[in-house]
Formats: sequence, structure tokens, C-alpha cells
Amino acid sequence: MVEIVFLAPFVTGVIAFFLPRNMGRPLLVFTGALHLLLSLLLWVRQPEPLFKSYFAVTPEGMLSLLVISLLFFLISIYTVAYLKVADIKSEHIFTGSMLLFLSTMTMVTLSDHIMVMWIAIEATTLASAPLIYTHRSSASLEATWKYVLICSVGIAMALLGSVLITISMDVGKVDAPVSFSALTAVATRLDPMWLKAGFAFILVGYGTKMGLAPMHTWLPDAHSEAPSPASALLSGVLLNCAYLGIFKTNKIMLAAGLGDFSGLILMGFGLTSILAAGTFILKQTEYKRLLAYSSIENMGIIAFGTGVGGLGAYGAMLCLIHHSLIKSSLFLTSGNILLGYGSRQIEKTGNLVKQMPRTFVAFFGGFVAISGLPPFGIFIGELFVILGAFKAGHYIGVTVLVVSLCAIFAGFANQAMKISFNTSEATIGLTEKASLVWPQYVLLLTSLVLCFWIPDSLYQTIMNAVTIVSGGF
Amino acid sequence: MNIPVDMTLSLVLLSVLFSFGSSRLPGLIKVLAFQGVVVSIVPLIIGHDMTGGGILFTLATLTIRGIVIPLCIHFAIKKVAIRREVEPIVGYHASVLAGLGLIVAAMAVSHRFNAPSISTSVLLLPTAISLLVAGMFLLIARRNAIAMVLGYIMMENGIYLVGTTFSVRALHIVEFGILLDVLAGVMIMAVILQNIKQTFDDVDTALLRTLKE
Repeated sequence: MVEIVFLAPFVTGVIAFFLPRNMGRPLLVFTGALHLLLSLLLWVRQPEPLFKSYFAVTPEGMLSLLVISLLFFLISIYTVAYLKVADIKSEHIFTGSMLLFLSTMTMVTLSDHIMVMWIAIEATTLASAPLIYTHRSSASLEATWKYVLICSVGIAMALLGSVLITISMDVGKVDAPVSFSALTAVATRLDPMWLKAGFAFILVGYGTKMGLAPMHTWLPDAHSEAPSPASALLSGVLLNCAYLGIFKTNKIMLAAGLGDFSGLILMGFGLTSILAAGTFILKQTEYKRLLAYSSIENMGIIAFGTGVGGLGAYGAMLCLIHHSLIKSSLFLTSGNILLGYGSRQIEKTGNLVKQMPRTFVAFFGGFVAISGLPPFGIFIGELFVILGAFKAGHYIGVTVLVVSLCAIFAGFANQAMKISFNTSEATIGLTEKASLVWPQYVLLLTSLVLCFWIPDSLYQTIMNAVTIVSGGF
Repeated sequence: MNIPVDMTLSLVLLSVLFSFGSSRLPGLIKVLAFQGVVVSIVPLIIGHDMTGGGILFTLATLTIRGIVIPLCIHFAIKKVAIRREVEPIVGYHASVLAGLGLIVAAMAVSHRFNAPSISTSVLLLPTAISLLVAGMFLLIARRNAIAMVLGYIMMENGIYLVGTTFSVRALHIVEFGILLDVLAGVMIMAVILQNIKQTFDDVDTALLRTLKE
């Protein structure tokens, strides 16, 4: 019964829509805990799904699921504290959408059928749209409109890509189930032309959702207008879900011997995203948009690493896990800053170190971690990506990558220093309660610990996920 | 050659031209409803899937694409009395000419592809390509938010045409899931449209440009 992992939050999500104002909060934490428990059970037992043609437990899916589950549990604890302070009018819609969002994202990680994957990813867009419009301002309305329209049109491209892959089966006279695992097994018999076309459309489609430039335009708006717990989910796990679609299709391409083609496109999109993010980070005036562009940068690194293959693919997987942990922690922290200073502008903040010392620790730790400095995991991930690219001989690509990373670090550091140490006369409208900071600490600590010590089963799962991509190294 | 199929598909191509030329939203919605109906009966006319489940699914598609989705948009307009013109960036005559050019180009391009299932009909692939590109065109060349949603629906119609006619293997339950997603998506867009109208008193997307660097 694998399916229960996404059915449980679906049921509680629907219930939450009908609950009175404050009842949704305990339900949120309860579902988070239940989901974490179920995911851990799934990890240990590895049971068979009920509908085998649609769902499967894959190593890459399990990794994403575990990240989602841990993140959601911690975010739900933060959310309860956040809701007490923040002024959110229709709270039942917020909690209900959060739970449905969790359910759809879980479904993405477990789906094996190409079309079911598409259905689940489109459903994540629909479930998260109300989250972005929570504040009911004209700006959040604009962000929601852009998000829904751009992502729906983008994902429609992915649907076309999925259909093209079924055509490649028709042309190649392959009679297999339309699932990622089955197609990877018979990949060499698929028609290469249609398969390439399918991959290109899927990359553009899911790439829109993943935030790859130049289809990223919705991302900074949506991530900055959504309430911080929702931004943390959007940035921390939703982007991973879209990446999963690309990753699995890339696996088919590699098995079909078209890895050079797919790798080149992935690297191209990756570098474009890093460059685009760098341009906007340098002149950024709002801290939530700064974090959003940093997500685009990291997705670029991940796409680049996946395209490089070998060590790079392993590095990309590490970056994926650590980016989720660190970026969601940073977005939660940005929620505290927003509640404290009441503005998203960097210049309206300042002196965070004195004004909100506990938030400062989380913010500065997150900044150090996301910039790829040791001893946090992104450092190791980026190192592997760069080493992998050198090993594969992509010297121009790796030069562009390293130079942009330096520029981005400079830009990000400049803004982070302003927030932390600039003088400020602002009065802080928030008491830093424990539950508003320790979820961030736990997330950062997890990243720190995973950098030095990876449990054997986790390491094995990562290796299983990237075996085909890396071809053993 | 398959004459009934080609005749049906030519109706779809006509609807593309009409949609490019129509200046008023109610007309555009009617064209889209007509297109939805015609596109959903194409699998029946091709006739490779005449099981009970297949017919039931076709009827469900017909209801959702031809009736429910257009009605959704129609009520969204009616409820908030949105201005009825589509506010073109590219003019109507130029649009129709572009549409003709698009259909010719789609015909020329689709000869290059070799897929065995395409040979059932000459017009199938050109029509699907035309719908996709035409939907994109409406998204880009109209400033009215509702016309943009209609463009999205047209794209989905095109993808449906590629999907159901080529991949006999796809299961109806999965196809139905896709259909439900599209429906829910359009409904959410309709809700957002109403909110946009209430907030800005217009649905001109030029108003939705405050968030940028």
C-alpha cells in the first residue's frame, strides 16, 4: 500500500477546508508527523504499490519523498507559530491547500507512469496557486496569475513531450507499459528522433516549473508574494518534483544512448539559469526575491551537473538534497524578518544581529551554507559538479560556472551584510519564540551532519539513483 | 486517405481562422466550444477505439471540452461584466493572414515526419500543429487575460488531438485524469480572472506588470 502516503494528506487536506478557524493548525502538524512516519516505513519496508502500472518506489523518488516529508514536518511546526503572529484571513484555505500540495508532491515522487507523473505535477500547480494568493493583494494576484498561466502552458509542453515519447514507441514498434521504468529497459528500441523531440519538450515543460531560465519569470514573483512557509515549500520541494520528471526522462535518454544530446541541452539550460540568476542577484533590492533567484541558480547547477553526468550527477543529487534543506530554512527565516521589520525591501532592514539575534544565527548560517562554503553540503555538491565537468572536459562550461558562482557569492554576501549589520532604527514587531527559529536550526544541522556522515542506506540509495546517469565512477 | 476524418479536421482548421478574426469575447468562446466538440469526436470517427469504455470517455471529453469549460469562462465574463473586446496586439486581418500562413506551413512541415499512425489522415498532424501554434499566438498577441486563457485551451485541444489519435495504448483512466487537471486548471484561472476584474476593474494584462526587476 504505497498509495496511502499521498492519500492520507489528501484526505486531511479536504477535511481542513471545512474545519473552523483554529482547528487546521493541529491537523497540519499531525499530518506532517503521520506523513514522516509513513515515509520512513516506506523507506525501511519498500513495499509493493497496489497499482503497479502507475506507481513505483524508485531510489530517486524515495530520496525526494524523504526530503519532502522531513521538510513538511518542520515547516508545519513553524507554520503553527507563524499563523499565530501573521494576519491571514482565510486560514482554512491556507492549511487545506498546504496539505493538498503535500499530497500532490508525494504523488509526483511515487509515480512511474509518464502521464500520471504529468497529472501529479500539474496538480501541484493547482494546489499551490491558492497559497500564493493568500495575502489577497494586487501584487499577489499578479504573481498567482503569472504562476498559473506560465506553469500551465509550460507543463502543457511537457504533456506534448510525453505524447511524443509514446509516438516513439509506436514508430519503434515497442509494446511496453508507458512507464519510466519499462521505457528505460527497452530504450534502445525506441525511435531516436521522436524520443529526442519528446525529451526537448519535456525539458522545456518541466524546466518551466523547475525555474530554469529563460522560463523562470514566474518564480521570483511567486516565491516573494507567497507567505514564507509556502515559499519554503515551493522552493524547497516543488522545484525538486519538477526536476524528478526531467531526471527520469534523462535516464531513458541515457539508456537509449542519446546521453550526449540530452546532456548538452541540460548543460545549456543550466548555465543560462546560473547566468540569469547572477545578473539579478547583483542588483536585488528585496530579500525574498534574492532567495528566489538563488534557487534559480541552484537549479541551474543541478541541471548542469545532471548534464555532465558521472561525478557531476552525484554532485547534482547532493546539491538537490542540501538545497532543499538550506533554502527552506532561509525562506522560513525570511518570514521572521518580514514579520519583524514589516517590509520586503533590503534597505528597510538592518542590524539583524542586535535586533533579532536568534533569527540572525539562522539567517547567517543559511547564507554561509547556500553560498557553497564548507562545512555545509552544497560545497561538496558543487565541488563534485565542477570536478565532474573537468573530468568530462567541458572547460568552457566550467569556467562560466565558476566565474558566475563567484559573482553570485559577492552579490549575495553584499546583501546579507546589509541585512545583518547595517544601522537601522526599525522597531521589531516580533518576539522570537522557540518554534519560530528551531525548525531552521534543525534543517541547517541536518545539512551539516549529512556533509560529514551519510547513513549507509542513504548513500546506497543516492548511488542507486545515479548509477545509470553516472555509469559508475 | 480517410475522407470523414479529414472533413471533421478541416472544421477544426476553420475554427482556428475564425478565432483569429473574432474581435469579441462571446464569439471567441463559441468558436472554442465548437472546436472542443469537434476535437473530442475525432477519435470516434477514426474509429480505432469503439469499446464501451472508449465511447464513454469520448462522451466525457465532449461534455468537458465542449460544454463545461466554455461555460466556465462564459460565467466568469458574465458575472463581472468584463469588457467584451480582446484588445489585440496584432490586428485581426493580420492575424487571419498569419493563420492561413500557419496552416500552409503546418501542412508543409508535417510531410517530413514519418509516423505510421499519421497515415490514417492527411490533415491530422497539420491540424494538431496549427492548434498548438495558434494557441501560442493567442497567448502572445492578445492583451486580454480571457483571450489568453482561451489560447491555453486551444493548445490543450491540439495536444489532445495528438494524444488520443496516436497513442492507442494510453489508458482511459489516465486520459481522464489529464482532462480533470485541465478542467481544474481552467476553473482556477476563471476564479483568478474574477479577482483580477474586482481588483483592477479590467482584464487588460498591461495592468499586471508591477512585479519586475
